[in-house]
Amino acid sequence: MMSTVLEVQDVASGYGEVQILWGVSLRLEEGKLTTLVGSNGVGKTTLLRTVTGLLRPWKGKVLFQGKDITRLPPHERANAGIALVPEGRQLFTDMTVAENLEMGAFSRRAIAHRRKNLERVFDLFPRLKERQQQKAGTLSGGEQQMLAVARGLMAEPEVLMIDELSLGLSPVLSLSLFETMRQLRAEGLTILLVEQNVHMALAISDYAYVLSEGRIWMEGPAREVAAREEIRQAYLGM
Amino acid sequence: MLAQILASLVDGILLGFVYGLAAMGLSLIWGVMRVINLSHGAIMALGMFGIYLTFTHLGLNPYLALLLLAPASLLFGFLVYGVAVHRIINAPYLSSLLATFAVNMMVIGIGTAVFTTSLYNVDFSLGTVRAGVLALPGTRLAAAAAAVLITAGLYLFLYRTRPGKAIRAVANNRAAAALMGIPPAQTLALSFGIGTLLAALAGGLITTFFPFTILSGSGYQSKSFVICVLGGLGNPLGALLGGLILGAMEGLIPIVLPVSWVPVVEFTLFVLILLIRPSGLLGART
Repeated sequence: MMSTVLEVQDVASGYGEVQILWGVSLRLEEGKLTTLVGSNGVGKTTLLRTVTGLLRPWKGKVLFQGKDITRLPPHERANAGIALVPEGRQLFTDMTVAENLEMGAFSRRAIAHRRKNLERVFDLFPRLKERQQQKAGTLSGGEQQMLAVARGLMAEPEVLMIDELSLGLSPVLSLSLFETMRQLRAEGLTILLVEQNVHMALAISDYAYVLSEGRIWMEGPAREVAAREEIRQAYLGM
Repeated sequence: MLAQILASLVDGILLGFVYGLAAMGLSLIWGVMRVINLSHGAIMALGMFGIYLTFTHLGLNPYLALLLLAPASLLFGFLVYGVAVHRIINAPYLSSLLATFAVNMMVIGIGTAVFTTSLYNVDFSLGTVRAGVLALPGTRLAAAAAAVLITAGLYLFLYRTRPGKAIRAVANNRAAAALMGIPPAQTLALSFGIGTLLAALAGGLITTFFPFTILSGSGYQSKSFVICVLGGLGNPLGALLGGLILGAMEGLIPIVLPVSWVPVVEFTLFVLILLIRPSGLLGART
């Protein structure tokens, strides 16, 4: 029996006069790894900002566990269990690795699970354990991305959304982070992965949405989407 | 001569701790929310009259009165934030400058109506402490010690407590902090309250050795600006260092120049630092 954790209904949004999203709908099923792929500038980040509440939609709704959260401010959505690993990481660069993780667990829902989650993220990313007292701004790009993901996990999320997991990372590191995603999914976490690396994203996901010019252009089980001729030509270079 | 220089230097540095404390309030508010608080001086003046009233009418020891002044000024800061700052927190700088300046004018206007602009003083002494060639007023030593204690308290709060770390997170990246579930409005209000508290306590400490009027705050506010630029705006520890430097200058300059030259030298330094090292001696925090 599948249940929908998060649902975006016909959302239109943008910045100032510029409309970016033109009626986007999407559902995240519990325990599944869903991916949202598309080229640069098609509105992937705008959609995530709308889901987290950093941006108010012009029309449409965001439902979380069946409740309408369209008007809820970002920090309340975090309390409800929506976590975002933002593009560009957005770490607290002046604070230590340990403090970043502590801030990740700031919400009411997360604080009770802090110890357990800290162990879990140190298991996933032993490098972070070694660098606990180091300022986040002094970490390498790969370590910063690990910290960003770890900070998201500290939130004890119902749904973890990741904006550009592999951007700017070496192939080896990207691969290992994709492997981490697979592992988290196996543990039952609901994940929305937004990626430019369409090939990898489709390979590890259960379900895929393809966003193009602010609209969902195609959706379906990731394997089927990957096999479509248009996708192979447009994104996979085959 | 050497004894005089040493005495002036120590005297100035002791005063510098209090200046630094006041500037920390300005610096903290800027660092967390990018607001230049133009009601800073007026709040210092409120702190002065707070101590004056409790000392004169209740006979309260000024240092004990600080314990009352702290929560009162914190609440006043919440009020100012809620009424004047919150709505324009994302507006261009000019809006928050004007809003806090309006608060400044209201406080000074009401203060003038109640206290007039005449000179007041708190007739309180801790005697003189002698150490070698130095003879230091006890109140200045106590004020410096209080400033150090309050600074240490601020740092413990910012680095060891959950709300303190939340303030640093919001200062560092407000959007990311909201994504973690840190409530932005409460955190900003708390920061503004603490900035107000620091200004008021510094004002309160000043009353134990200088006379004052309701307008005295503006001079100290200008000093706070110089200090913040010296130490790097948004960096509270830099503000303390800047305060010590400014205090030392205030002690030493009158030895070679008439006292009226002190602000001229201070503000020349202010402009020079802005031109040469705009991020301050310790570097500004983002």
